Amino acid sequence: MSPPRVTRAQLLLVMLVLLVLQFYLRPRLGNARISPDFLLIALMLFAMRSGAGAGAVAGFLIGMIEDTLTPARFGAGALAHTLVGYFAAWGRAVFFADNILVNAGFVAVGLWFRDLIVLVMSGSQHTQLLTELTIYSPLQALTTAGFALLLLITFRAWFSIRLDA
Amino acid sequence: MSSISDRRYTRRDTVLFILCLGLSIVTLFSPVSWSYSIADTLRRTVLSPLVWLQTRAEEGRTSRVRFRILTAQRDSAAYLAQFLPSLRAENERLRQLLKLSHRLTASYVPAEVLHQPHATDGRTLLLSAGSRQGVAPFNPVVAPEGLVGVILSVSPRSSIAMSWAHPEFRVSAFTVGGNALGVVAPSAEDRSEDGALELRGVPYRDSIPLGTLVLSSGLGGVFPKGIPVGTVTGTLREEAGWERVYRLRPAANPGSAAHVLILVGTRTPDLASAFPTDSQLEAMRVDSITRVQRADSLAQAARAARAARRESLQKSSPMLGGTPTAGVITGADSTP
Repeated sequence: MSPPRVTRAQLLLVMLVLLVLQFYLRPRLGNARISPDFLLIALMLFAMRSGAGAGAVAGFLIGMIEDTLTPARFGAGALAHTLVGYFAAWGRAVFFADNILVNAGFVAVGLWFRDLIVLVMSGSQHTQLLTELTIYSPLQALTTAGFALLLLITFRAWFSIRLDA
Repeated sequence: MSSISDRRYTRRDTVLFILCLGLSIVTLFSPVSWSYSIADTLRRTVLSPLVWLQTRAEEGRTSRVRFRILTAQRDSAAYLAQFLPSLRAENERLRQLLKLSHRLTASYVPAEVLHQPHATDGRTLLLSAGSRQGVAPFNPVVAPEGLVGVILSVSPRSSIAMSWAHPEFRVSAFTVGGNALGVVAPSAEDRSEDGALELRGVPYRDSIPLGTLVLSSGLGGVFPKGIPVGTVTGTLREEAGWERVYRLRPAANPGSAAHVLILVGTRTPDLASAFPTDSQLEAMRVDSITRVQRADSLAQAARAARAARRESLQKSSPMLGGTPTAGVITGADSTP
């Protein structure tokens, strides 16, 4: 049984809002290294409600967007987001994915994992890698998870769907 | 049935995952030129709305910062503009002081007046030069306009000057024409804002016209001869028919003096030539204006001559787009 059409539209609307927030609000938030990553929230919330393949494709697309618009090594973001999207979809089957806190935790872990892959694939030096993974990535993971939590509480009914059902 | 559907679904997922992973790895290890061209194409086509959005956001953020910077600069400029007239005045005074220092034949020490926020400021002045600079008690203190006072006490790096506004100040003086001699002291009767001096001890028979300049006479050995002290503005009183006391407008104002010269040295010559009179100052100003105007007219004439020469060259030279004149052609033909 497919989810109601209106629910899909609502979810799409939230994703679009997150996309706009990523490119219109985030540059105004000050320190970009610790401000929430709205695209990753969109990816995680989508992947956890869809199949692993769709999650991987979404991750690849979002990774390509980030690779195109950020000066990191081209392809590193695509690879990292593909893996994150795929494992987020698989993680739903392992953990209690309906729990809001678990969702937020997924977002935090996904962001840190994404940063790890991007930094390693971009050939970062050890000191920079260590600083990013121990200071900035956890901070950004916290802010991103916090915003994801807020989003899930606000739109709880809209997110209570399974796109792959 | 259900398991078959799940398996197909899982295979599809796996295929998609591997496909995306493969594409990611291909883009990751593709040549840099390819990466740049792909990124550039994506930025210009599919992602152009996102780039536009981000550009607007960055503009919004930076415009806020620019607005703050501009506001701060405007405030700073307004703050500085408040001091512009006083800076100009101080600059003018410094220039006058510099001219005076060139004209002075006596040794001098420049000093800054360190005004104090007291009601008695103006009677005694704290100066920024002391015995280390050669200042000694009873050295005269002058400004470009004239006499300011005399040094009272000296410390190594500073000194205290008694200005003409001090009740105990006295200076022997004479009129610029030399027809009257007296002693100048601060006036106790005149309560005008600028303060006033009085010329005492002028014999009753010696009348002094208004506007006469009064100079230090050099008698007494403290003040050199010829320093302007003030200008006669009227008669203050007459004493029992044998003496007239004249009111003087002081030449220099100690209250507004910021920089002064302390005349050092034991013997100082006549300094009258160092202090030009009001008419001389006016003449110098007019002369300066005339020189500037003359320089301007010379520059204009030079510019006009250059323009005329350029025009003449253009007319005579075909290379510059002009037509050769008859004279030039004739000259070329007449050459053997």
